[in-house]
Amino acid sequence: MRYKGYAGRILWIDLTHEKVRVEDFPEKLAEGYLGGSGICARILYDLIKPGIDPLSPENVLMFATGPLTGTLFPQACRYTVAAKSPLTGIWGESHAAGHWAPELKFAGYDAIIFLGRASKPVYLWIDDDEVEIKDAGEIWGRTVLETDDILREEHGEDVKVACIGPAGENLVRYAAIMNDRYRAAARSGMGAVMGSKNLKAIAVRGSRDIEVADPEAYMDHVRRWHRKMLSHPFMPDRAKYGTTNLIELMQKIGRLPTYNLRQGVFDEYYKIGGETIYRKYLVKPVADFACLQRCGRYTAVYNEPYRCMGGGPEYETLCSLGSRCGVSNIEAILYGNWLCNNLGLDSVSAGGTISWAMECYELGLISRDELDGLDLRFGNEEAMIELLIKIAYRRGVGDLLAEGSWRAAKKIGRGTERYVMHVKGQEIASQEPRAQKSMGLAIATAARGADHLYGFPVLDEVGFEKEIRERFGEEYLPEIADRLNPKYKGFMVKECEDYMAVVEAVGVCKYGTQIPPVFYYQDMVDALRVTCGMDVDVRKLKMIGERIVNLNRAFNIREGISRKDDTLPERLTKVPAPLGPAKGHVVELDQMLDEYYRCRGWDLETGKPTYEKLLSLGLEDVAEDLLRKGLIRKAES
Amino acid sequence: MPYIYADPSRCTGCEICVLTCSFTYFKVLNPKKARLRVVRMEPAIDLVIACRNCERAPCMEACPNEAIKRTSKGIIVVDEGRCDGCGRCVEACPLDAIHIPPNGRAPIKCVACGACVQACPVGCLKMAYSFEEAFEKRRNYAERLKEIILSLRNSG
Repeated sequence: MRYKGYAGRILWIDLTHEKVRVEDFPEKLAEGYLGGSGICARILYDLIKPGIDPLSPENVLMFATGPLTGTLFPQACRYTVAAKSPLTGIWGESHAAGHWAPELKFAGYDAIIFLGRASKPVYLWIDDDEVEIKDAGEIWGRTVLETDDILREEHGEDVKVACIGPAGENLVRYAAIMNDRYRAAARSGMGAVMGSKNLKAIAVRGSRDIEVADPEAYMDHVRRWHRKMLSHPFMPDRAKYGTTNLIELMQKIGRLPTYNLRQGVFDEYYKIGGETIYRKYLVKPVADFACLQRCGRYTAVYNEPYRCMGGGPEYETLCSLGSRCGVSNIEAILYGNWLCNNLGLDSVSAGGTISWAMECYELGLISRDELDGLDLRFGNEEAMIELLIKIAYRRGVGDLLAEGSWRAAKKIGRGTERYVMHVKGQEIASQEPRAQKSMGLAIATAARGADHLYGFPVLDEVGFEKEIRERFGEEYLPEIADRLNPKYKGFMVKECEDYMAVVEAVGVCKYGTQIPPVFYYQDMVDALRVTCGMDVDVRKLKMIGERIVNLNRAFNIREGISRKDDTLPERLTKVPAPLGPAKGHVVELDQMLDEYYRCRGWDLETGKPTYEKLLSLGLEDVAEDLLRKGLIRKAES
Repeated sequence: MPYIYADPSRCTGCEICVLTCSFTYFKVLNPKKARLRVVRMEPAIDLVIACRNCERAPCMEACPNEAIKRTSKGIIVVDEGRCDGCGRCVEACPLDAIHIPPNGRAPIKCVACGACVQACPVGCLKMAYSFEEAFEKRRNYAERLKEIILSLRNSG
């Protein structure tokens, strides 16, 4: 590998035949897709055949770091994990921070690709060049924290562990992959894919170097990036509250999903917000590798019955297990957060599924008998906690809810489908889109189903007008900065999606690149030049981002996705927000979608990239593949 | 004796000090080649360990080759030319603050250059001198009681 920054090798693990193979990282792949989400998109488009069962051995599970992962770029600690999603049946992808991904690079690998299925539970042990598929008999069935303890006792304190909990083993369709105990690659059910492969954990220790291309200039750049990050006005609050004070901020703009997204304001928001956590439960802020922002929390509940101690919570969990379920008992929410981490559950989809069941129960669509006798009213925290455990172990009604709200509603029927707050089968996260239109569009177009992070268009959320001007110029202001105005949001979401794809491809965090919007393309160009020696410019990077998004879309098109699937629940597009600052608003989705497809150069009617668009992005093989399958058309010439 | 002092109640475990250190001396990014180390442990413990340049240094006493010396500023340094890599200093150090890096022969240890102090984003590192250290230790000891008192109040 000519480029520095990379470890330069990819690890291929054939679980069926217990074979380990190390391959060089192809330079062409780095130039076209960087790493992380980019190389996952490329390699898995080729490896995963359309129409396969995501929980079968034919699915391929790939972990990939970026070229900046493990370096001194702010927050450069992330990895992408991707496969076909068992929750949505389309592209599945999730990301996490922590210390695991840098350790993998220090061991000498940029990525790991898992093929097939092990005949019995196994885990992967990596100690630099020693790579071994080992028997997981002792850890199978254990929780995440137990697994982490046992593996570090076995292999040493300094070992970093990524693993699944009982939820992943039991193929809960929204099971997470957990690393460094409390960090979750949570969404789209990657933990279930790992479980289906009988793969419990990946323990890694590394002692190799990451080299940089320009050692003379490197530290000057690092100091500049760090100064830029630390001097942002967001920093003090981020360190003090992490993401927990978003509860208060979102309440203020009516964007806090409450009672299964019936409304965007929660009367008891202050009980579950950042100030409460800071005053009563915060032990200390914890940073991930190379992170200056330290939004990670370490919290403790000292009282029974919810005594617990550990990482988190994030805003997402506070909302999904809090306001969304009508729960205002913060100690129950913190315990629920701890349970989700320890059992390996995506707290967003878990809260989304439970709040759906709560609404259906209150409307009389699901009976108490069907819920194992639980009185599943909104706000019943005891029932919520019990359900989290039932879901992870698929006990009683947990077996149904482990399928996710969309599948559960299809099974039950009786009109419960109307209350599923999902896109493409995945539960909407803690964003009330009627109070922020761009988010509505982003959730509808995201490749892995309902997802706020794929585009993460938060520039209009709390007034980053200055940054909007810097990034997009004067021409779209003031409408683009108005979160209730649908105008120019198609353009903004397209731009944000492309940039976020690049951010995940290089291995850095959306915090610091998008909120607060400190680093943009030019910083990435500088970082890739000085770290990797890569000859890139802003135009090239933008194209890589667009290429990744189009490739994700192509993957989904092969699975039957088109404009008809880029939707939102009727509650958000037809029912005006009943309360709060966004009262009376709906999401004007069609209008925004038209603009979005136009900006993307996709067919307005089908929402598919045109043959020519794919060619212009250097995706000739993908264009030919889709054309051959009759999924896209050539423009009339 | 001067040494790098780290306030464990402020350290977040980001390891920026460690990366900075390995880059300063080896021009590569590798936590295992850093002269100081971060110990991370449950619950929420992040502790930077750097050589204290002890007055009566066990590493110096253990070295059979007189390869470990003290500079005029009081810093203990390893003379690579005299070191035969026997590792007795590593065994002797009560803090594990001197270690042999991967693929290395001679051990490395913190020489209190201060590169990490500059880089720490939370300001938990500082160059300490013995007289300051006493005060700092006392303050920290007292500060640790805060947590205990808080937890008592909360479980009250």
